[in-house]
Amino acid sequence: MAGVELKADVTGSVWKILATAGQQLAPGDTVMILESMKMEIPVIAEDGGTVAEIRVTEGSPVTEGQVVAVVTG
Amino acid sequence: MSEAWQAELDELALRREASQRLGGAEAVDKHHRQHRLTVRERIDGVVDAGSFTEVGSLTGQGRYEGGRLTGVTPAPYVMGLAKIDGRPVAIGGEDFTVRGGTSWSGDRKKGGQGGFVEDLAHQYRIPLVNLIDGAGGSVTSIQRRGHAVFPGVHGFERSVQLLGEVPVVCAVMGTAAGGPAGRAILSHWSVMVKDTSHVFAAGPPVVERSLGQKVTKEELGGPQIAVVEAGTIHDVADSEAACFDMIRRYLSYMPQNVWELPPTGERSDPVDRCDDALRSIVPENRRRPYDMRRIVRAIADRDSVFELQPLFGKALITCLARMNGTVVGFIANNPMVYGGAMDVKAARKQSHFMELCDCFHIPIVFLVDVPGFMVGKDAEAAATLREGMRAVYVSLQVSVPIYTVVVRKCYGMAGMGTTDKNGLDFKLAWPSAEWGSLPIEGGVAAAFRREIQAAPDPKLREAEIEAELRASASPFRTAEAFGVEEIIDPRETRPILCSFIAAARNRLATTLGPKPKYGVPP
Repeated sequence: MAGVELKADVTGSVWKILATAGQQLAPGDTVMILESMKMEIPVIAEDGGTVAEIRVTEGSPVTEGQVVAVVTG
Repeated sequence: MSEAWQAELDELALRREASQRLGGAEAVDKHHRQHRLTVRERIDGVVDAGSFTEVGSLTGQGRYEGGRLTGVTPAPYVMGLAKIDGRPVAIGGEDFTVRGGTSWSGDRKKGGQGGFVEDLAHQYRIPLVNLIDGAGGSVTSIQRRGHAVFPGVHGFERSVQLLGEVPVVCAVMGTAAGGPAGRAILSHWSVMVKDTSHVFAAGPPVVERSLGQKVTKEELGGPQIAVVEAGTIHDVADSEAACFDMIRRYLSYMPQNVWELPPTGERSDPVDRCDDALRSIVPENRRRPYDMRRIVRAIADRDSVFELQPLFGKALITCLARMNGTVVGFIANNPMVYGGAMDVKAARKQSHFMELCDCFHIPIVFLVDVPGFMVGKDAEAAATLREGMRAVYVSLQVSVPIYTVVVRKCYGMAGMGTTDKNGLDFKLAWPSAEWGSLPIEGGVAAAFRREIQAAPDPKLREAEIEAELRASASPFRTAEAFGVEEIIDPRETRPILCSFIAAARNRLATTLGPKPKYGVPP
């Protein structure tokens, strides 16, 4: 099954990664928290699923629209 | 037995029948197969059932045999007078099934720039609904006329005039390029339809010839570009039917013209409804964002919120809504996107929305959580400072009341654009509010650099200074000095706003009419 790509809403950096590959997520669970403009911006798996891939590491910079994780349904 | 004038009435019936057939069964079938409705079906879809009175139904190109009429190809534009929610509107649209909706040369234009439908809206001071489905001029008109038409012979002067007089709504129903695309922009609100509509200054063939770029219609002027990235068009509908509902909804908030107040809606939601959730939506951790739309919905009349440009400039939320039935415009910073910082798109969105509310005498409620203008190289290159100051300039020109509710941050120049400096300058704040010329955490490092560097533990010293300043920055201290007019329990936001908005009606009702513009916006 094709994965859902979770994208960064904002340009900033990865502050905390909360989920790990293989983990089951309920709809609305937070996968990671980005930091931008001194704000914590959550990356949320709207539909839940299984974490297939985390593409960033804590502290790494991200740009708006960048795929940061993939979740399969 | 023949009646008086029977031959003439038969001819009228024949001509009317021809106009109902549009470009003929084959062309209409082809149009339907592409999941598009005809212009007549579209008009019926937008207006109150049975309310359409057509004007110019006999226009077109007659065919004659020995002086006897054998058929008519209708003009590629259908328009007239109709009603939406019982109120009259001027409505018209290109008929794509006749020569692709290209222009037609009769004695008088029906639609488009300077057409009868625009005159109808202007003379009767009623809203104009344009259903656009045409690519504008064709070079074949040179052949037909024997000369090239100077740009502006059929100009936008009436279209521009209308923007200060009556609500103008444009729906891009098919592919719009050239003049029709320009007209889509000359509106207060515009919408397009997913998959079946596109809008651009010039289409793929012209782009390829001019620049050598190969692009599809969708890549050049689909909703991803026109609505999400560029904000050229204000919204996208999932289907033509959904588009018609959105047009009706938008107009339900609008007055018929700038000489009248917007219609008052139902007063079924109690004025004193205090939503407990308002106390807990804003997190105590000031780095945590929250759902600002929930706050708008909790304050406004139940089910009255209609968001404009939801996909563009997402750092700012703009909605039409009602407060105890009175139409208001909500502007709210969105902390989920760059902490609500004003970027160039949010600034453009704010300027447009404030001008819209001002034009139609709609009071503004500003829910503030703005850390300032967006910073960084990209933001500077995009002219955030200039476009942001334009938003501030617009806020200082509007003459409708602006009710400022500081939900959390209100900083800097962007913060200045949230208040009613030319009016009552009435500012409410929640206990979660904080303000200043710039956020403390950004300012401490710069202002106390020497002291911080000299300290044995610079990090600790910076945190100490921040804590000291934060205590003095409490909103209650500003309230002591009457620098903010009231600090309220968030639950009380709706009742307080409702009473002030109701009281402003006297002022609004006595300052109707067009708003003169002066000065040169930055």
